[in-house]
Amino acid sequence: MKRYLGRQVVQLVVVIIGISVLSFAILNVIGDPVLLMVPETAPKEEHERIRKLLGLDRPLYEQYWKFASRAIQGDFGRSWYGDMPAFRLVMERMPPTLYLTFAGLGVALAIAIPLGVVAALRRHSIVDNLCTVLAVGGQAMPIFWLGIMLIIIFAVRLQVLPASGYGTWQHFLMPSFTLGAFLAPITMRLVRSGIIEVMSMEYIKTARAKGVGERLVVVKHAFRNACIPVVTVIGLQFGQLLGGAIVTETVFAWPGVATLTVEAIRTQDFPVVQCAVVLLAVVIVVVNLAVDTIVGFIDPRIRVQA
Amino acid sequence: MTALAPREVALEGPRPAEAVPSARVVSLRRLWRLKWGVAAAGVMALIVASAVLAPWIAPHDPLQVNIRHRLGPPAWLPGGTAAHPLGTDQVGRDLLSRVIYGGQVSLLVGVCAVLVSATLGVLLGLAAGYFGGRLDWLIMTLVNVMLTFPFVLLALAVIAVLGPSLVNMIAVLGAAGWPIYTRVIRAETLSIRERDFVVAARALGLGHSRLVFRQIFPNLVSPIVVVATLQVAQVIVLESFLSFLGLGVQPPTPAWGNMLGEGRVYMLNSWWIAAFPGLAIFCTTLVINLMGNALRDWLDPHLKL
Amino acid sequence: MRRPFGLAMFLLLVLTLGVVIAEAQTKEETLVYALQSDVDSWDPPNSVQRTAIILGYNVFNHLAERDLKTMKVGPSLAVAWKALDDTTWEVSLRKGVRFHDGSPFTARDVKATFDRVLDPEKKLTARGNHAKIKGVEIVDDHTVRFKTDGPYPLFEERLTAQVMQSEKVIKDKGHDWMQEHPVGTGPYKLVKWTRKQEHLLVRNDDYWGTKPAFKYVRIRVIPEMATQIAELISGGVDIIKAVPPDQMDVIDKSGQARTSTAPILRTAFLQMDQAGRSGPSPFQDVRVRKAANLAVDMDAIIKHVLNGLGDRVATSVNPMAFGFDTGLKPYKQDIAQAKKLLAEAGFPNGLDFRFRTGLSTVEPGVSQTNEAIIADLAKAGLRAKQSLIGETSPYVAQVKEGKAGPMFNWSWGYYSIFDADAILHDVFKCGETYSYYCNKQLDDLIHAGRSTLDPKKRAETYAKAQKILYDDAAYMFKWGLRGVWGISNRANYAAPRDEIDRMYIVTRRAS
Repeated sequence: MKRYLGRQVVQLVVVIIGISVLSFAILNVIGDPVLLMVPETAPKEEHERIRKLLGLDRPLYEQYWKFASRAIQGDFGRSWYGDMPAFRLVMERMPPTLYLTFAGLGVALAIAIPLGVVAALRRHSIVDNLCTVLAVGGQAMPIFWLGIMLIIIFAVRLQVLPASGYGTWQHFLMPSFTLGAFLAPITMRLVRSGIIEVMSMEYIKTARAKGVGERLVVVKHAFRNACIPVVTVIGLQFGQLLGGAIVTETVFAWPGVATLTVEAIRTQDFPVVQCAVVLLAVVIVVVNLAVDTIVGFIDPRIRVQA
Repeated sequence: MTALAPREVALEGPRPAEAVPSARVVSLRRLWRLKWGVAAAGVMALIVASAVLAPWIAPHDPLQVNIRHRLGPPAWLPGGTAAHPLGTDQVGRDLLSRVIYGGQVSLLVGVCAVLVSATLGVLLGLAAGYFGGRLDWLIMTLVNVMLTFPFVLLALAVIAVLGPSLVNMIAVLGAAGWPIYTRVIRAETLSIRERDFVVAARALGLGHSRLVFRQIFPNLVSPIVVVATLQVAQVIVLESFLSFLGLGVQPPTPAWGNMLGEGRVYMLNSWWIAAFPGLAIFCTTLVINLMGNALRDWLDPHLKL
Repeated sequence: MRRPFGLAMFLLLVLTLGVVIAEAQTKEETLVYALQSDVDSWDPPNSVQRTAIILGYNVFNHLAERDLKTMKVGPSLAVAWKALDDTTWEVSLRKGVRFHDGSPFTARDVKATFDRVLDPEKKLTARGNHAKIKGVEIVDDHTVRFKTDGPYPLFEERLTAQVMQSEKVIKDKGHDWMQEHPVGTGPYKLVKWTRKQEHLLVRNDDYWGTKPAFKYVRIRVIPEMATQIAELISGGVDIIKAVPPDQMDVIDKSGQARTSTAPILRTAFLQMDQAGRSGPSPFQDVRVRKAANLAVDMDAIIKHVLNGLGDRVATSVNPMAFGFDTGLKPYKQDIAQAKKLLAEAGFPNGLDFRFRTGLSTVEPGVSQTNEAIIADLAKAGLRAKQSLIGETSPYVAQVKEGKAGPMFNWSWGYYSIFDADAILHDVFKCGETYSYYCNKQLDDLIHAGRSTLDPKKRAETYAKAQKILYDDAAYMFKWGLRGVWGISNRANYAAPRDEIDRMYIVTRRAS
């Protein structure tokens, strides 16, 4: 187990480094921070002065090293507009994003697992077809469209839920449902195909042969093992979930990292963008690690195989 | 074996004696099973046609401002006219024309971005699967890095630096979408590489590139097509989201995403301004997904997507 | 790992949050106000944002205050003032006023506030507004004398434009602390500030003036106007401002809220780079500028796009400002003439140029009106390519740095000073941060207008100045804005003509 985890940690550290390089590259290589701070009409000496001041005249790997070593200590520079350390700004907004993401995950699982199981067990029935329709339709629905429609129906017309903001459990309902609806279709299909695959396995036939009741077969044997692909998928999908959270936050004025990042992008506040990208990567990586650990516990084969 | 479930009996029981159906009937039967996909393909053809033929079928100039007729409702509502079947937007431009022209942007971005992603992804996947070793490790690490991270955030960050425009969007969406091809292609390449005909060809002394492109590549066409089709839908939704945020195609150029964004504030009174572009996005995405699923069921059902 | 697990986690999360995030104050005692963007700091002299000015009004007091009914300047922290001579003003202060931290308000605080604002080292943004004040002398605990650099006719008006801050705070706590902790004498105190999210104010029960009706004020930052409107009509917010004219029917028909409009001091216009600040520009030629003004049918735009909510003006001077020339008539649309002028200027086939535009936070409906303007300009051959800058801060930064030419959309709130000088100086004087126009004659007139206390002479000077602006087509002139506010039916409030939302005058409506 330790070796397996160790391997996973190494792989994930590599991912974090990769993201930080990517983030650094995007902002320092593709863009030119100097041009953003000094008007184009300013004399060349001014450009050179700012360049020296920011340390942009040093070779790229040196710049990256400086960026990375500072980043590990939590220093991502100061926001150009808020005049606060970027790290503090991003961390302040992290909890709402995480709560939303997990709530969305919860909703997605609550929808996808029951539907997926039923669809798998009663293949080609009405339920199965309905699920397929929902899945395809759900995947096609632009998530921001769904969010806006929900606000209109529940907040404006029916007035049972608050239109936006953060604070009480009512504020959570629509955003987490929107996010859950985003992830549910694909999760449902994966649950379905996972269960189908498991149900055709030898040990299921054996259990049936032994005379075990169908219900017990499903719950005790099939489901337990189908969890493996589902949990793995959750881990893989977490990045997509965060992507969905970005859209959801924008529509519901949710005070999370995503809305902060979009605003920082619009105001071209690069320290904040960089910080947000790297910290989100860390979150994703940590979650992936947790998922891998869980999977390792459930399925010994993976520990040995990898 | 009475404890077996009924359906398993059917599979294992003796084959009923019947005539082998003709090839034509078989393929028609297959087509019927994929009826949704076929219907979707038909609708898709309509959508593409309307986008391509936009200058001829759009009733008005999508950029023509007419402030005296702004916020006109669709023709079937009181106050609507037949001249503007879907109504007019906040500066009096005809909505139907804008929706039709908007399809041009969405399809253009979708197809071009996917072409870029597919080319990049397939080449890298082939290289990783075929050559293996350190190159494989390097490429797959890159793939893992990029797949772990939300597509959306990367796209946003790059657009922030480059600035919003059609070309930048295609570049960004194309550059962010290649990892999935690489993963799929690499898996397929790995499995094909060890097959007899490839081994035989190598034994005959065939060069690498001939081997790759003549022998291996043809087997990859199906997975590529399936992934690409499904990805076009993804890219269209992503493009509309970026435009909705104001980071994609800029107004006044009609694009479904920025129309949705501009129309958002009108949802409670002049709802048509946002509703019809939203419907267009939904229908197009739905249709492409159906086509993609049908393609997958037809060509390569074992593809894990 | 088991199916119930996910469900249990979700429920646990929801319950925990429900318990932890409990509302400390009841809805009944709280007034909720929405902002589209948050302030950068709670130190009003250090900010140019209108929102900072508005928030400042609720937590601080000024020396003088405008009576909203008569629009005249009246006493606040200062009870009386008079001009001793051309360059000296004596101001008597109110007695018995305390800051939120308990310390008494005296002349020392007035001096400390102005010393800090006028100090060139501190580089506070408010410095330009009060540059005519040379210094403040303390006569006794409740009397001060202001020495001005020559006659200062705007003195009275400007008394309403500087909040009084505590000397103790300035000396002991320092600049950085003051950005997040406002200590004023005003009707509300700041309890909590969650950046970019919300502020919570509580009533100052020791306030020297009329105590506000609502105990708490919650200021929510809601960037999307659509969301603000949804919140207003569903009861989540009580007051919103800058409502687009197109959305007024939604609010009025909702049964939960109503709209209230008033002409406000803010005036909109398009700046053309006559001074060449962003490099050579076709608008340096007066014929091109005139052509631009002649190409657009502004009256139709006000009528159809703003639903009549705008007051056409001949120049950028607002009808409510002192010095407004009622005799000057605005340009009338004449496309043929515009084309002719362009041809004379050397552009027989028209010309292409970049047109920078921003968000509609202060100027509702601006994206629609700009589209209409661009369409009209194109009819005369002036083909504008729109360049939308999606956030206010970078937009303002570009304008200040001189990068916004050759044409950009702008509006001016006059800092709520009802005087022509408040716009002429900052927006038309050669070399000023926000000015892209340079005309020595105009500069002389601006100087003359500031240098005398005689209202008749000033009015004549400003009439001449407006004629110059008009004949020289300095900018593309649009209109004076009519502000639209959305107010929930439980609040008694009306649109303020100086664009400042005073939470402390809002009372409960009898239903």
